[in-house]
Amino acid sequence: MNHLSSETFKENARAALADVQLRGALKNATSLFGERRKEAAAGLPNWEDLRTQARAIKDDVLLHLDRYLEEFVRNAESRGATVHWARDAAEANQIICGLATERNARIVVKSKSMTTEETHLNDALEAAGMQVVETDLGEYIIQLAGEPPSHIIAPAIHKTRQQIGELFTAELGMPPTDNVDQMTSTARAKLRDRFAAADVGISGVNFAIAETGTIVIVENEGNIRLTTSLPRIHIAVMGIEKVIPRFADLDVFLKLLPRSGTGQRLTTYQSFITGTKRAPADEGPEEVHIVLLDNGRSRMLAHPVTRQSLACIRCGACLNACPVYQQVGGHAYGSVYPGPIGAVITPQLMGIQKAAQLPYASSLCGACREVCPVKIDIPQLLLHLRGEISPRKGSRAERLAFKMWAKVMVSPALYKMSGVAGRILQRVIPISRAWTNGRDLRPIESKSFHDLWSNE
Amino acid sequence: MNNSARESILSSIRTHLAASPPVDAHPVNPVNPVILSQEDPVTRFKESVESVSGHCIITTDTADVLSRIITDLKARRIANSDNPPNAHDIFGYEVGISTAQAGIAETGTLVLDSACERHRLVSLVPPVHIAIINASAIVETLGDALTLLQKKEISPAITFITGPSRTADIELTLAIGVHGPQELYVIVDGSK
Amino acid sequence: MWTSIGVSSVEVLRRVGCEVEFDKRQTCCAQPAFNTGYLDEARLVARRFISIFEESKADAIVSPSGSCTAMVKHYSQLFAGDPKWLPRAQAIAAKTHELSSFLVRVLKKEDVGASWNGRLTWHDACHGLRDLNIKSEPRALIRNVRGAEFVELEHADSCCGFGGTFSVKYPEISVAILDQKIDAIERAGVQAVVSGDASCLMQIGGRLSRKGSKVRVMHLAELLNESSQQ
Repeated sequence: MNHLSSETFKENARAALADVQLRGALKNATSLFGERRKEAAAGLPNWEDLRTQARAIKDDVLLHLDRYLEEFVRNAESRGATVHWARDAAEANQIICGLATERNARIVVKSKSMTTEETHLNDALEAAGMQVVETDLGEYIIQLAGEPPSHIIAPAIHKTRQQIGELFTAELGMPPTDNVDQMTSTARAKLRDRFAAADVGISGVNFAIAETGTIVIVENEGNIRLTTSLPRIHIAVMGIEKVIPRFADLDVFLKLLPRSGTGQRLTTYQSFITGTKRAPADEGPEEVHIVLLDNGRSRMLAHPVTRQSLACIRCGACLNACPVYQQVGGHAYGSVYPGPIGAVITPQLMGIQKAAQLPYASSLCGACREVCPVKIDIPQLLLHLRGEISPRKGSRAERLAFKMWAKVMVSPALYKMSGVAGRILQRVIPISRAWTNGRDLRPIESKSFHDLWSNE
Repeated sequence: MNNSARESILSSIRTHLAASPPVDAHPVNPVNPVILSQEDPVTRFKESVESVSGHCIITTDTADVLSRIITDLKARRIANSDNPPNAHDIFGYEVGISTAQAGIAETGTLVLDSACERHRLVSLVPPVHIAIINASAIVETLGDALTLLQKKEISPAITFITGPSRTADIELTLAIGVHGPQELYVIVDGSK
Repeated sequence: MWTSIGVSSVEVLRRVGCEVEFDKRQTCCAQPAFNTGYLDEARLVARRFISIFEESKADAIVSPSGSCTAMVKHYSQLFAGDPKWLPRAQAIAAKTHELSSFLVRVLKKEDVGASWNGRLTWHDACHGLRDLNIKSEPRALIRNVRGAEFVELEHADSCCGFGGTFSVKYPEISVAILDQKIDAIERAGVQAVVSGDASCLMQIGGRLSRKGSKVRVMHLAELLNESSQQ
């Protein structure tokens, strides 16, 4: 797969800005998503209370994450699920490939799971000789195209219907069309027999309930229900932060997630899976495995500002609201988690060295914070990360410039001189082409406000 | 199973939490539910089902409505959750009939509980799903349904169904009927 | 850098009955360093800000900049865990107000006697809007400007793309975001765009002028200082 890297965000963004089709697709998608979310939120008069409540629940969970995880595991295991712990991506992949191989699996169906994208599970399964079939329509499209997802909940949103039609014609032999219903039925028909033939079904998890050991997964298409009902083995993969304390807490989260993500009151299906079936003759998989993934999440618990990153319920609302994402799309971020939430969790999960540009790719406008259902203060997080990165990784010139700037700003004499110097410099030295390529520069005035005040 | 990973992760969680500066805990105050409608739940339920492209018929003669729907659909291979076909055969069926243990008025949602019937494939694989629900089983809100479910031990598989299957993955354009059923009929039995 | 904003702010405040002082020792609120991640340098400059303004006996510190005011409110983040500076920072922050917020919420004045003929629109600067909840105040003030025809800008609350160092670190993205704002302004058919932050005005004005547009940019203080005599 041809993945862009976070380390080249600037170049990726430049290329994205030149892609007219992409920008058109992004504009339509983000504005539609935004309107629907706004309308859905307005439909609940206690929306703000729900956000506060959700954040309070998440804060409580994260402060006692070990206890809630242990409670979840105890209850899931007592109902027949097998729980595995994975310290990092490699370990998660190893566990899952091991399970599949031991059970002589050949065909694996997957429903959309960002966590498995994070670990690059598909590559590992294919290397182990499995055929992996993505069944979520958006994921199926990008699998055919050989691309990574560009949005947390709508993976193929960067593609126009024409592009998808052409892809289906080329890869699936579909008669040429750009009719969405026809494309959807083509996918349905192609994937049907994969569900029936699959040995293993792999899903993500939206919420894991500590009180009952239940995993909750939400969807519109029905592929999650098929993935978790048909194959004899179901493997559910979740980040350790997905746990919530009580079954009743779902009331708050199931109100916030669908409205924030797609503007729906509820998605078509919610599956509540608690352990394994009671009797062999019952419907459903013979084995239910739950893989808990850390992969850097536990580190984020060490500071209240970074801890809030783990409250994310993966709704995607921040992406749609972000003026940067709206212009460049998800691929430019070079991470399975793009947009505002991606800019803060990618450096924390992958390491600052791999994603140092991302926290600076923001105008700090705060639109993300406004729409986040769990009130994550992303600008605060971005600033926190910049505070960690700049002193160590900022260019020497920049670090020096700010040291000098501080000296000038604390000295009245230097400050007065800087105004004069600035005016001279602006006339003599061409100001950064970065500004003047697109914008005119307003000249610094000959008399400063300080000067005028003296003359009062 | 893999206890060292378990201990390592739990230990990492505890260590990092211990390193964190303390914060004031915010109390988790319950949010008062908002009832948005004065209508009776059954009427509201029907409106909600129809708003998500489902069909809803309120009747006191379920058998009659059922046979009319099946006749109109000209369906011959009909699966029933009392005695469902096996996972291999069910792909050849045109209609799946199940009951629903509860309904949620505010969203038009059906609640299906595997402890009560074998609904998982019957309500999912055939392109048409017909669900039969007692009018008295319809509750107002999502919260009410969750409370109901906790009155006994949570069964292995509970499914909430709101309308026929759909997607908006292509240009955010709505397409009905993806992997799950393309049509949903809900028969509300008002007898008793 | 933009003297008429300072001059207009002082004149408007005096006109509504305030006694205005300006401490010439002041330099900067430290926002550029804070936003770029140079927190030690930011603290150096912020301490100076706090010390200078502590000496004043004024009832309020007013700034014609939403982002500077928001920065001062963020001093509690900058000095978190500092038992000596945190209370001082919070005391100063409590007294600091953005101009339109001060006029409307504190002085309860929505009409400052201004007049300006023409069609204009308002751009909500991000920090003022989202950090300080400033939305209705500027609109109330503008609606009382005699002769001014106010039209609401499409997506008035969308970012202009400036974002401080963002505008020079990622200039192409900054301009791409800016062009959405420019398109909306052109569609609004106005003679002027008004805002509460000089940085937005520089960003928007710089692009308008590069495109040869006749639309001018005005700071709210400048608009409120306009009278029919001019």
